[in-house]
Amino acid sequence: MTDDAVIDISGLTKSFGHTVALDALDLTVRAGEVHGFLGPNGAGKTTTIRILLGLLRADAGSVRLLGLDPWTDAVAAHARLAYVPGEVTLWPGITGGETIDLLARLRGGVNSARRAEMLERFELDPTVKARAYSKGNRQKVALVAALASDAELFLFDEPTAGLDPLKEAEFQRCVRELVSEGRTVLLSSHMLAEVEALCDRVSIVRNGRTVESGSLVELRHLSTTSITVETVHPTAALASTPGVHELVSDGTHARFAVETAQLDGVLRALADLGVVAMSSSRPTLEDIFLRHYEVDSHSVAGTS
Amino acid sequence: MSGVAVSSDIVTTETAFPRSAGFTSLVRFSLRRERWILPWWLAGMAALMALQSTSSQNFYDSPEKLAQLRSTMSANAALVAMGGPTRLLETIGGEVLFEIFAYLAIVVALMNMFLIGRNTRSDEEAGRTELIRSMRVGRRAPVLAALGIAVLANSVVAVVLTVTSVVTGLAIEGSVLFGLAIAGFGMTVAAATTVAAQMYQNPRGVYAAVSALIAVAYILRAVGDVGNDAVAWASPIGWGQRTYPFVDDRWWPLLLYVVMSAMLVAVAFILAERRDFGAGVFRYRAGRGTASRLLSSPVGLVWRVQRATVFGWCIGVFVLGSAYGSFADSIEQFLADNPELAAYLPDASDAVDSYHSLTLSIIALLAAACGVSCVLRARTEEAAGRAEMILAAPVGRVRWLTGYLVVAMAGSALVLVAGGFGDGLAYGVTIGDPLQAVRLAASALAYVPAVWVIVAATAVVVGVARRAAAVAWLFFGYVAVAVMFADAFDLPEWFDRASPLRYTAQVPLEPFDLGQGLILLAVAAGLSGIAFVGCRRRDLGY
Repeated sequence: MTDDAVIDISGLTKSFGHTVALDALDLTVRAGEVHGFLGPNGAGKTTTIRILLGLLRADAGSVRLLGLDPWTDAVAAHARLAYVPGEVTLWPGITGGETIDLLARLRGGVNSARRAEMLERFELDPTVKARAYSKGNRQKVALVAALASDAELFLFDEPTAGLDPLKEAEFQRCVRELVSEGRTVLLSSHMLAEVEALCDRVSIVRNGRTVESGSLVELRHLSTTSITVETVHPTAALASTPGVHELVSDGTHARFAVETAQLDGVLRALADLGVVAMSSSRPTLEDIFLRHYEVDSHSVAGTS
Repeated sequence: MSGVAVSSDIVTTETAFPRSAGFTSLVRFSLRRERWILPWWLAGMAALMALQSTSSQNFYDSPEKLAQLRSTMSANAALVAMGGPTRLLETIGGEVLFEIFAYLAIVVALMNMFLIGRNTRSDEEAGRTELIRSMRVGRRAPVLAALGIAVLANSVVAVVLTVTSVVTGLAIEGSVLFGLAIAGFGMTVAAATTVAAQMYQNPRGVYAAVSALIAVAYILRAVGDVGNDAVAWASPIGWGQRTYPFVDDRWWPLLLYVVMSAMLVAVAFILAERRDFGAGVFRYRAGRGTASRLLSSPVGLVWRVQRATVFGWCIGVFVLGSAYGSFADSIEQFLADNPELAAYLPDASDAVDSYHSLTLSIIALLAAACGVSCVLRARTEEAAGRAEMILAAPVGRVRWLTGYLVVAMAGSALVLVAGGFGDGLAYGVTIGDPLQAVRLAASALAYVPAVWVIVAATAVVVGVARRAAAVAWLFFGYVAVAVMFADAFDLPEWFDRASPLRYTAQVPLEPFDLGQGLILLAVAAGLSGIAFVGCRRRDLGY
């Protein structure tokens, strides 16, 4: 919708046989932002990325990538993007350095200085054959190949899985540098701290649909604040107050969650009960994610 | 219920033999993994034996014919080198084994090599063994379980071959001995593979080492059969042939298999006790830090990944071609002895060139098999997730698939020339005309268009469907049957109409037909086009 959208997906649908992988998914990534792409396993994140790469064909919906159609203009789009798959499989008899060079040459040429810098920063030995690399080192091969390129858009599918914390921090520094150079990043990740540290905006998908999308500030606003309170009058009356959820009331003690938008009204109601002591905690990003993840597992269990 | 059985098994073996704990469960698990693979090997061996036994008994149905064969064979070193000791030719049962024993030995060897390799080093390299070993499973258990499966498989081999032999009318004692000899050789190879699996970190290293050993065993027995008998005793294949089933029925050489297998297993266990998990005696070597100029394109990558396979095919087909070629000069004599064999040849009046065109057709089939496997590699790469890395770069799908087609076509042409060259070289040496090597290598090129049609047809299957391998090999199998048996078995005239080799002139018997060649090339190009269109339409990369 927005003019500066690097990725613009709406109503994207994809089925494999009877399995619906994507069910009218929406995703907008603006130029120059780091966009977090979150969701439980099997939510459709990798399928979405593969459609963005033109590997899979969408059943329905519209997909624009760098202003192009990813299916018909795949090569033109790929010339401007770099991709790190979630599970990196390499050619067993070919070394990491050779693989990096091959991928760079397919993109038009090796930037030797940048390649050397990235090998250094990720402490990767390029002379090792791929079959002897650990999972983390295979991941580094793909990361170095992507980060050494001059792409406008970076698609990362759980890029730090298997990396040690130091390399994870190095990856975050790299992403910040990319953004400062005006590039765009789509980051699919389960590392919530990483997402919180890097992302300007996030989209959360579940069962092939986008259930929430926005800046982290907006998402916090949409979520709940948890309150523990002790009052003069019995707290049972709170049950009927709009915006109060998960109330556990025990005489003059109570614990509950408040929709952040309704906080003001709930506080007024509390004041009428005569507050003796109160503590409140703002939702962390983890709370927000877990809420969506948990709802998902509930619906799978058939309780919702 | 089975859970109880499994845990009690672990507890009992754990206390008695802690290093073998979990053996029974692992054997059961391996059997489950192998249940779709082993039956094919067994059926293949039974079919080989049944065909040979019935056709031999048809050809040499009288003692006079057998005696005639003995004199022809004894005079032909090349045939003895391919078959076995001429002493076997004294009875019809022995004649059957003279022809088939060495081939069956190679089949059973490959079966055991892959069986052990799959269940030991491949699992270890892939990390599956790590998961297993973290359970209450002893250090020796995975190797022991693999050997247990090999014992079972080879026992079934013995039974299947004995039964096939008896059912096709051969004597019982010799049949049992022959079955056990093949099984014994299989077991020896299985034991040797467990040793190699301790030494090489990479399954390919294991297979290369064991294949080399099998080749050495084959060559030693060939040398021994042609010349000094003592040399053949250095070869485990020679041991089996020297039990002389149906001739002497000598049982004691079977003991050599038992002793050799036991010694090899002991060595494997000593190595296994001393090495770290995942390691071998030979470590991975470091490679280049930067890519050579060659590795800059999809074609370059395919060539890099496939070149060892292509060279392997070239060497194998060259050796086979030489074996065929060394026999070409005797073909007229052989035909005079066995007029029935003329049915296999396109034109018995020019026996030598007729024979050459038959061998070149078979070489063309092998070249096509090399090409088919090269193209199918595209599908393997796709399923493994590696194609995604290439396709996410600015590489179109057509360019990606073209890489496989180009290497498959160039590789199969190379294999053809290598086979024709080997055929001509060996023939040239026997008749003292070295130019035959050039003539037959050039003749082999006449089959290139037909082979490329088969390669391009495989590309169509890869381009259109995801389960390509089975369909591609089915078509290949059909072409193979059409080439080898359409004439001999009087198959209906329409049978080989879909085989591209039907439309190829039988060079050198017939002159090369340029028009036909161009039409076949056009068909190959058209099929490639269909492959590209299909490849552009379907989902890729999983």
